[in-house]
Amino acid sequence: MSTIDFSHVYRLAIVGAGLSALSALQAGLAGEDTLLLDYQDGPGGFLRHALTAPGLEDLAAFVRAAALPDRLTTCFRSTAVGLLPAFVEGEPHTLMVRQSSGTVEVRATQVLLACGGLELTRESAQIPGPRPAGVITPVFAHQLLNRGYAPGRRIVVYGQARYVQATAYRLAQAGLSVTLVSPPGEPVLALPAALSSALTILPPARLVALAGFPRLEEVSFERAGERVTLAADTLVYAAGLRANTHWLKGSGLALSAQGALEVNARYQTSVHGIYAIGTAVAPSLDHEQSLTMGKEVALLLSGGAL
Amino acid sequence: MDTHTRLDVLVIGGGVVGCAILRELTRYRASVALIERNPDICEGTSKSNSAIVHTGFDAPPGTLEARLLADARDLWPSVIADLHIPYLQTGALMLALTPEDLRTIEREIIPKAERNGVTLQPLTREEIVEHAPYVNPEVLGGVLIEGEGVIDPFWTTRAYCESAVLNGATVFTGEGVTELQIGEEGVVVRTSGGRELTAALVINAAGLWSDEIARLAGDDSFTIRPRKGQFVVVEEDHGVAQIILPVPNKVSKGILVTPIVFGGVMLGPTAEEVEEKTDLATTVEGLRAIREGVRRYVPDIAEAESVRQFAGLRAVGSESDYIIRASTAGPRLLHVAGIRSTGLSASPAIGRYVGELVRRELELVERADFQAELPEYLAETHPDEGDVVCLCRSITRGELLAALRSPLPPGSLDGLKRRTGAMLGDCQGNLCLPRILDLFQQQLGRDPLTLPKHQARSCPVAVRLAHTAGQEG
Repeated sequence: MSTIDFSHVYRLAIVGAGLSALSALQAGLAGEDTLLLDYQDGPGGFLRHALTAPGLEDLAAFVRAAALPDRLTTCFRSTAVGLLPAFVEGEPHTLMVRQSSGTVEVRATQVLLACGGLELTRESAQIPGPRPAGVITPVFAHQLLNRGYAPGRRIVVYGQARYVQATAYRLAQAGLSVTLVSPPGEPVLALPAALSSALTILPPARLVALAGFPRLEEVSFERAGERVTLAADTLVYAAGLRANTHWLKGSGLALSAQGALEVNARYQTSVHGIYAIGTAVAPSLDHEQSLTMGKEVALLLSGGAL
Repeated sequence: MDTHTRLDVLVIGGGVVGCAILRELTRYRASVALIERNPDICEGTSKSNSAIVHTGFDAPPGTLEARLLADARDLWPSVIADLHIPYLQTGALMLALTPEDLRTIEREIIPKAERNGVTLQPLTREEIVEHAPYVNPEVLGGVLIEGEGVIDPFWTTRAYCESAVLNGATVFTGEGVTELQIGEEGVVVRTSGGRELTAALVINAAGLWSDEIARLAGDDSFTIRPRKGQFVVVEEDHGVAQIILPVPNKVSKGILVTPIVFGGVMLGPTAEEVEEKTDLATTVEGLRAIREGVRRYVPDIAEAESVRQFAGLRAVGSESDYIIRASTAGPRLLHVAGIRSTGLSASPAIGRYVGELVRRELELVERADFQAELPEYLAETHPDEGDVVCLCRSITRGELLAALRSPLPPGSLDGLKRRTGAMLGDCQGNLCLPRILDLFQQQLGRDPLTLPKHQARSCPVAVRLAHTAGQEG
């Protein structure tokens, strides 16, 4: 962990040390004078908490191998909370960053936003019912497991992605009863054999309601017009991601109606010198896309733009 | 535990009404306490409502409710200043979409408001569109109620209670009243925590459950029915800067569009008679009714993305007015019940009114050292605590620790949420909750396995695993 030089104008500031930023760094993005900031304690984005989950070994290996270049100034537990783009093209942009010592201003000629996504919640889909304890998303489940705790005993995991399967598998490995249900209409992922024996897998169905208070008791699904109700003390809602761009409201950067950063084919946002990649641009649980964007932006920026 | 305590006054119920009364009572030389069965205060009707400080323009004239709402209008400015409560006087616009709506406003709404001492300002269609360009342009006219505003209801409740604690009151949380006997010496109250409290006077401010508290004393003179209100929270304000009111019908004021004091907009509430006092579920029909209701007034917001939906229950009493009177079982038990949906708005005046009743009954004497102003604890952070914990809302470790160090620390995760705004953003706390559990453990020594989300038996951490399943990457 390094410290920020406030008097300095960095050539590049990267916000976020998740897969897309690591991929860009590995592809040679980091030149001299580059600052990397992240909310977390270390690299890997929110996937960082899930790296021991079965089925994510390749991503775990990638994150572990992604040695951060020595010439990079790296600051963890350093959260960008605001961005003031330059008034005049060529002038530095200003990031407002919160660290333990307080709020600081970071200036950089170019900014790469790789600030990732936040997991969608049951509330974002307006699933009706009460608001009991036990309705969570994967990032909470993984962090609890890392601390030696579990969110419940009888768990329903709802979602469809490699990360979701890995979450379900990891909970089952911890000795919990796990049922995996995927939403209808999405391509069904092949299941590793070990996975299908460790947990109960139901055919795709749509989550329609929750019941129970103060603790979750039941989760209801609809499949072909029929209602199926499962007893559960925990629902891991894993239906997708949204861009983590709340902090960019007011910055003037163009965002889609869903909050994703809008970029052109060269990953440039609506403001000159500010680029964006990864989940913040294309919110999905597909890690390959983040890796690809990282590589591409490294080539584009190293090939002349920087 | 010291199992027997003698008090002058015990308040049952840590909602906005109970906490406002508790604070008023600390103006006198008296030993006062409050008991709340939930792990933290503000866990019932006071946390799930439209957060409006209402003028009472439409209250039934001549009722105690109308009188206290009128008194509250004068008391709010000093309460807001002393307790540093986030408040915005947005004003409210009541919109007429039909000629009949216009007639109702002219013949019923304006004259009733006059009788309640509130002057409404009639507006033409053009004036409304100029004032509030976000409303349906087909509006025919309406009225402005200038004195209506929005407030932070959690802050209000917590600050009343915290101010009372700093002025010497005791607060018991996580303990319910199981027995209540009115005797010669006073009222003896036994709690689920094994405590026995004897008070010269007990105030029943138990909200939805106040009829059941009355039953414990053998008083069945009133009942409380729950009336559900569902809400939809939208993070984007869509330009909404005033409270938008439909012209009301007999059952409810209708579905409102209300700016939230700390940003965003709230749509709702519904008004549904329900059976259970625990029915806090949102429903497909309710959420649809809200969207359809607001579509007629603010079309753009009807389709807006929602970060959260919730339901609250109004405590509707069997009498047509507030039930503020002595119990039929004896004068030592005072009911403050049936407050329905105006408890927040009337709270300063209910506190003052009940405080005065108690003063006369117990012949209390005012203290010289009552501190009206609440110190700003939540702003007091230490060096090296500036890192962000709640990513969605940029809430720092220092802000969370300040709440945990306060004179009335939260007894639940939602209690910390209500004090700081953490966990209210897009991820609803899933990302930062583990770090917040760490802070509870560090600052208050709370075991994650016993830390509730809201009510008893609502711990998000259910099981300690035999061995650690993995380490942070």
